[in-house]
Amino acid sequence: MSQYATELCTLLVEDNFGELFARIFSTLQRYDRLALPRLKFYSRLSDKKLHHGLAAMIQMHLVFHHTSFDDGVTYYEANMQAAYYLVRSGKILEIIEDNLGVYASRVMSTIMYLGHAQVSYLETLPELVSEQVSTDGINGTLGSHNVNGQSQSMILNGSHAASGSHAKLHQTLTSLAAHGYIVRVREAHFQSSVDTMMSAERIVKAKQDAKQLKGKNLERFLQDGITDLIQERTEGDLSHGLIRNGVPRGIKRRRVNRLGEESNKRPRLDSSVRLPFEKLDSDEDELTDNELVDEDPPMESDLVVRINHEKLDVVLRNRRLAELSEHSTSSITAQVYECLLRRIEYQTQRCREEPEIPREGEEGEIYSTPISLHTLVEDIDPGLDLAGSIGPMLPPEIPGRGGKRPPDNGVNGSGPQSRASEVDQHLVLLAQPPYAFSYRQINSGMITWTVEYRHLARKLRHLELERIIQSRYGNVALRIVRVLLAKGKLDEKRLQEITLLPPKDLRQVLAKMQGGGFVDLQELPREAQRLPSRTIYLWFYDPDRVRRNVLQDTYKTMSRCVQRIKFERSRLKDFLDKTERSDIKGNEERCLSEAELVLLRQWRDKEALLLGEVARLDDLVAVLRDF
Amino acid sequence: MTSAANNSRSPNVAALASKLYEECRNKFSADHLFYQKDLLSLGVVPNDNLPLLVQCAQSLVDKKLLRLLSGKDGRLAWKIISQEDAEKFQNLTADESLVYNVIHSTGRSGIWQREITTRTNLTATILSRCLKSLEGKNYIKKIRNVKQTGKIIYMLAELTPSEDVTGGAWFTDGVLDSNFIKILAYFIEFFVSRKSWYEVSTTIDAHKHRNKRQKISGSAAKLDPEKQYLPYPAGYQGYPTVPLVAAEVNKSGITPVNMVEESIGQLLEMLCYDNKLVALENGQFYKAVKKPNEVKKPKELCGVEDLGLKQGDDANDTKEDTAEDENIMAGRGGMTEAPCGQCPVFKLCTPGGAVSPETCKYFDSWLEKTLGF
Ligand code: SF4
Repeated sequence: MSQYATELCTLLVEDNFGELFARIFSTLQRYDRLALPRLKFYSRLSDKKLHHGLAAMIQMHLVFHHTSFDDGVTYYEANMQAAYYLVRSGKILEIIEDNLGVYASRVMSTIMYLGHAQVSYLETLPELVSEQVSTDGINGTLGSHNVNGQSQSMILNGSHAASGSHAKLHQTLTSLAAHGYIVRVREAHFQSSVDTMMSAERIVKAKQDAKQLKGKNLERFLQDGITDLIQERTEGDLSHGLIRNGVPRGIKRRRVNRLGEESNKRPRLDSSVRLPFEKLDSDEDELTDNELVDEDPPMESDLVVRINHEKLDVVLRNRRLAELSEHSTSSITAQVYECLLRRIEYQTQRCREEPEIPREGEEGEIYSTPISLHTLVEDIDPGLDLAGSIGPMLPPEIPGRGGKRPPDNGVNGSGPQSRASEVDQHLVLLAQPPYAFSYRQINSGMITWTVEYRHLARKLRHLELERIIQSRYGNVALRIVRVLLAKGKLDEKRLQEITLLPPKDLRQVLAKMQGGGFVDLQELPREAQRLPSRTIYLWFYDPDRVRRNVLQDTYKTMSRCVQRIKFERSRLKDFLDKTERSDIKGNEERCLSEAELVLLRQWRDKEALLLGEVARLDDLVAVLRDF
Repeated sequence: MTSAANNSRSPNVAALASKLYEECRNKFSADHLFYQKDLLSLGVVPNDNLPLLVQCAQSLVDKKLLRLLSGKDGRLAWKIISQEDAEKFQNLTADESLVYNVIHSTGRSGIWQREITTRTNLTATILSRCLKSLEGKNYIKKIRNVKQTGKIIYMLAELTPSEDVTGGAWFTDGVLDSNFIKILAYFIEFFVSRKSWYEVSTTIDAHKHRNKRQKISGSAAKLDPEKQYLPYPAGYQGYPTVPLVAAEVNKSGITPVNMVEESIGQLLEMLCYDNKLVALENGQFYKAVKKPNEVKKPKELCGVEDLGLKQGDDANDTKEDTAEDENIMAGRGGMTEAPCGQCPVFKLCTPGGAVSPETCKYFDSWLEKTLGF
């Protein structure tokens, strides 16, 4: 990762966990990987502090450790990805709250805060036993300043004693596990992927079979073996056996109420990873709310779980696509799309298999699991006005007005057939250019729908880059870039003909964009002398390079915003310290003067604005890096 | 004897000739190519008297009322020249009318000066004198060719240059007319948009759904409360086509000249690159990205109301035409709104440096502007 990502991650660690963590983190970042004595030397921390800090950071997954096979020395390394994800926590908790309710979000927040947690430990936490749901369990973590060392124990606010029954906790954990939002922690999660990979390689190479193979065969054997072993060692999926008929536990089949309330949770308390394959009966197996209540055993109490960011990125990507689809169709169509996306989400582990985004043009098409139209029809809120949210098939007589709906638009009846064709119609609409949000496939005679995510991810990236270009260089620049993207390299003459821009304007904008690194010029000399008059100049736009640059700029901008928050906070330090005093906190109205209250409100607005900005920048990072 | 008879009838020739000219003008189009038999069939010259006909024709040619051409198979043929043109010719020198004829023959494509030289065999000095005089009399004009700037082309003054020469409808005097393009583009976008979305009055029901959705996007609130625009189903055939747009543009009178479909197609393609339109079914149909109430007026058009464009509402008038307003996705991205995203010293900025987030002067004004204190 780059300089700016490094800077940002250290800032995030500092902001969330304080000086000590930040010191260790930045030292590790600077030297890549260090054994304990070196780390102690560079960080200039006392043994006690260092040990304490490291232990906590390992628990938080902020530091990898790996004991070398060769010299038996344990090396420590900073986990950049985990540090970066700190910035996304608020967003994730919001999603969990939307999907599974406030309590689930609180459980999630607790796990997030602990890094990873044993189920039995979660059982002991009073705030998770508490029946009433208070909202302060779901603070975004970025804003809250925590003294390090407290990370192990939450500040306890509930006074309910553990009631012995942890039914609700277990239900929620089951549901989180079924959705794939949490996973089992594996040994390999504590070391970097490179280490996991190298040790897998060593083991596979040492196998008896490998010794007999040569050349291509050996290569393939190693490849497959390593992939399998890594998979085996890192797999923490808990959803197996918790998904029935394609729907995870804790979800009502028909989601009339989209924001799942407590009543939606169908308890199925089961943590075992490898259940025998459940039979996928069709609709005979219609689940009712109460049917399965007592069937599921609780989660194993010694199971250790953590947040599964890979899966949550899938959820974020789907959100983003649903938003985009709403804009280009209608809110109703977008809701149909959301149903499709949700079904696909349940069966999608991660956004993509490659660690890096492949270069433009080198990426194949990957279709998601197909979802049958039939299933979707059942999922969709029956109250949704499907017929009334699409225009008529025939052009209206008088433009913009009237126009009878022809019968092929689906009779407004309630027959299942017409409902299915209505749903299908919305999905066909989504499949239209320019986005092609969905694809229809006929699988053994059944209509199914899938999503091709790779081109959509690319589209999202292009849109983000184009948005930046447009706002920086104007509408003309947008046109130029899109022409170059569609047509490849072009000389000025041709570019001018297509863009219909006066040569002077065109040249000006191109020069500006070249200065900003968004377009570039290629020289093709027609002869060896490289005379300018005998040279062809071609303009081009390389979205890969622009993406990388913009990503770095985004990290930097995020850093600046976080730094500014820090600075603003230091400007008001004395005042803010006062508001944090235990006798004042919670009693601000009474204890503070009018002016102070105004100041406090202004500070909170400021902080919220800056944090909101960081969150939106993170949305951009997600598009440019994670989808 | 014959010649005497002919001579004696010579006043007759003049009368016959003018009658012939009248008939030719009345019965045929101005471009008609006359052969001998066409002229005879008019019945002006009695007894199919061929020599007499030739005489009449020649006298008309002398008066510049007919132009002698060689038609198919080298046969003689004539074309009529209008009275006014004939007058022009009468006060031209022989060289000038030679040049004029050459230029005339090239029609709307015009002709390059060097080409005239080769065709007329006139010396450069004489030719340029002729051209000057013809231009001074306003019989011919100079045109700048867009393809090869600097190459000057001559054509008759009354002709509209062909698109090859001018570069199409987008050029005025060889210069791209970007204002014209902007206005026309807006007109087209708005027209296509009205045809791309199905307009309904919002019912309470639709409101309910919309509110529900706001949780996710929060963008729908900006829509006009009165109207709602729904997408048409896939395969809808009512989206505008190139001919339809061209017809609408020409009907509106927004352009001084008739726009050919090719030019309109060019503009539609450009609008696709602007992310304003989407081509469907290989460009057979065009669909607007924005709903009619979101289409933005270019600032060139503010205050111009006589184009027969009735806006659905006046949402556009209050907004400035800044680039940000044009964004197709609701809400602005983090990079475009944070001060650093537009910061001129972004590259230099380092914590603790001369330009740093602590000393930054952009943040305060941004915070003030956004929060309003
Ligand atoms: S000077 Fe201010 S606006 Fe510019 S990059 Fe630095 S912090 Fe951002």
